[in-house]
Amino acid sequence: MTVFKYFFKVLNSYKFFIILTTVLLVGFGCFSLKTNDTTTNFVANEPTSIIINEDGDNDITKNLCEYIKKNSTIKEINTDEDSINDAIFYRQVSYAIYIPNNYGEDFLKGSNPEIKIKATGDSNSAYMKMLLERYIKIVNIYQQEGLSESEIIQNANRDLEKNIEVEMTSKINANSLSQSTFFYNFANYSLLAGCVFIVAMVLSSFRNRYIRKRTIVSSTKYTSFNKSLFLANAIFALALWAIYVIISILLVKDVMLSLYGILYMINSFVFTICCLSIAFLIGNVISNKDGINGIVNVLALGSSFLCGAFVPVEFLPSSVLTIAHILPSYWYIQNNQFISTLETINFHTLKPYLVNLTVIVLFIIGFIVLTNIITKHKRKEN
Amino acid sequence: MEKIIEVMNLTKKYKDLKAIDHLSFDVYKGEILGLLGPNGSGKSTTINCILSLLKFNEGNITIFGKEMTPDSYETKSKIGVVFQEVAVLEELTVYENIDYFCGLYIKDKTARKNYVNEAIHLVGLEDFKKFKPKQLSGGLLRRLNIACGVAHKPSLIFLDEPTVAVDPQSRNNILDGIKTLRDQGATIVYTTHYMEEVEILCDRIIIIDKGNIIAQGTKQELKDLTGIEEKVTVEIDNLEPNKIEDIKKLDNVKEVNYNNNTLLITYKNGKSNFGNLLHYLNKENLVYNKIYSERPTLNDVFLELTGKELRD
Repeated sequence: MTVFKYFFKVLNSYKFFIILTTVLLVGFGCFSLKTNDTTTNFVANEPTSIIINEDGDNDITKNLCEYIKKNSTIKEINTDEDSINDAIFYRQVSYAIYIPNNYGEDFLKGSNPEIKIKATGDSNSAYMKMLLERYIKIVNIYQQEGLSESEIIQNANRDLEKNIEVEMTSKINANSLSQSTFFYNFANYSLLAGCVFIVAMVLSSFRNRYIRKRTIVSSTKYTSFNKSLFLANAIFALALWAIYVIISILLVKDVMLSLYGILYMINSFVFTICCLSIAFLIGNVISNKDGINGIVNVLALGSSFLCGAFVPVEFLPSSVLTIAHILPSYWYIQNNQFISTLETINFHTLKPYLVNLTVIVLFIIGFIVLTNIITKHKRKEN
Repeated sequence: MEKIIEVMNLTKKYKDLKAIDHLSFDVYKGEILGLLGPNGSGKSTTINCILSLLKFNEGNITIFGKEMTPDSYETKSKIGVVFQEVAVLEELTVYENIDYFCGLYIKDKTARKNYVNEAIHLVGLEDFKKFKPKQLSGGLLRRLNIACGVAHKPSLIFLDEPTVAVDPQSRNNILDGIKTLRDQGATIVYTTHYMEEVEILCDRIIIIDKGNIIAQGTKQELKDLTGIEEKVTVEIDNLEPNKIEDIKKLDNVKEVNYNNNTLLITYKNGKSNFGNLLHYLNKENLVYNKIYSERPTLNDVFLELTGKELRD
């Protein structure tokens, strides 16, 4: 109990840093709310399109055509190239969709046939593009699962129907989701700078060579001392995570109280554990507090820049993102990005999310093993 | 006398280097045992082995009649250790530091409060309770280090060079505190390379060099062991040769030299040498400017036994 109590006393001396990182997080969260708040004026226009079907009327192709008809106004014009080009140039249609020969058959074989398009490039065509991509994404998921043609159509239509039902909400959520992603991406920095820095600093105090000697010669069992220290660290990290989650609920309530929110919470929770394991590694290996300060700054700022916590991932060069793969932050941020693009939430659609989580868990295991190896080596040396 | 610590044939090697070579000694209840030796002689290694902080290659160590192992928690509860290096938590105040380290032994919060306050009083840090270690001078920091090690009132205390780089005021305070601990019944093992401290504090002394015990005993026993003489210097003008011959005939006089109006008399071991000389000078009405006696110190003993200065 003494160790537990004094852990928090030592931690108290770093309270300024905790407040600073939390204020930064809240500040950036509010900033994202303001800059991304464009939801209220959104009015959906129905795009105009034309289908050039070279495949015929098999069920898959028919279903695609039905979907396009349902979500856009089909213009009846000649399907020769000149007429199509003219129609697009004069904005008579926003989008021309070319369904290739054998599309249905090739799709079922899994060869991913390409649907060519011509578009005006305006907002209507962008909306149509988004609708088409959504359709293709969903049918591809079911095709890859090895379902039959009728099952693919049935499942895809069911999912697309759901989306249509929640379309307006979904559009509001698109902004909220983007705000949540922004918030949780920035939490990468706050968790690394806050949790790792503070836990590592406090640990380095208790693990200082001479303090450790004094602890070992005392009548307190060293294993019980370690347990108290671990418990106190875990409670601190979880409390910090809980504070960030509460702040996110206050900022983006609609997302955080939905399934999307749970996904953000799980992702950030696993990442918090990862931060804790990094802190254990740093706190056990480095006893110099200036050294810890430097390393945590480099780690928090470096990984936040490299992995897209501050700058949107799309703006980062591919070479930077390749390097970022070696950092747990990359997988955490990828998951945040992925959540914001999720159309439907089920086991199939969550696979990439689960893969990213698994990678973070592997990082945690790696850091724990490394900490054990290094501490054993250090103990032998001492 | 009750043996508190028994060290038998303790040997510790670092690869090919023997840091301690078949060391055997006992520590008795209520005494202050001084472990004396130059830097690198094996004092701290010996203490670390006794406390099970270091594995040793050969030998046996018992404390309070029980073999000492890393899991001897009952034995450890009666031991207090003050290491050479200041080991305190920078983020805590003086009071909190003492309370934290005392808490590793005493779980009861109310009882601990008294222990902590008594430890603060022992080292004279009453005015600095709320100070953080960074705000303390080197001497005060050493006092805090001691309070952290002895707050739980152990019956066996190891003090490993607790006064290194300490100002005279703090040193006196620390030495007084150690005497108080001894008076309260604690057995103390005190390592240092400050000869004066050993002279003031220790009941028994073990001199270690290169991991071996060179000599052990009380201060007087060690001085007697070497047969070192007392030297008396007298500044006196125009001393006649017959007077010099008379002085040579005084008890225990080994050698007499007279140069540049300075008379240097070397004595064998013996009592009342200085008094006998004064009596002779007064009887002969010999007028002297200055007279002083030099007794052998432990430093002389160390020099005699090891052939080098203690602070080498």
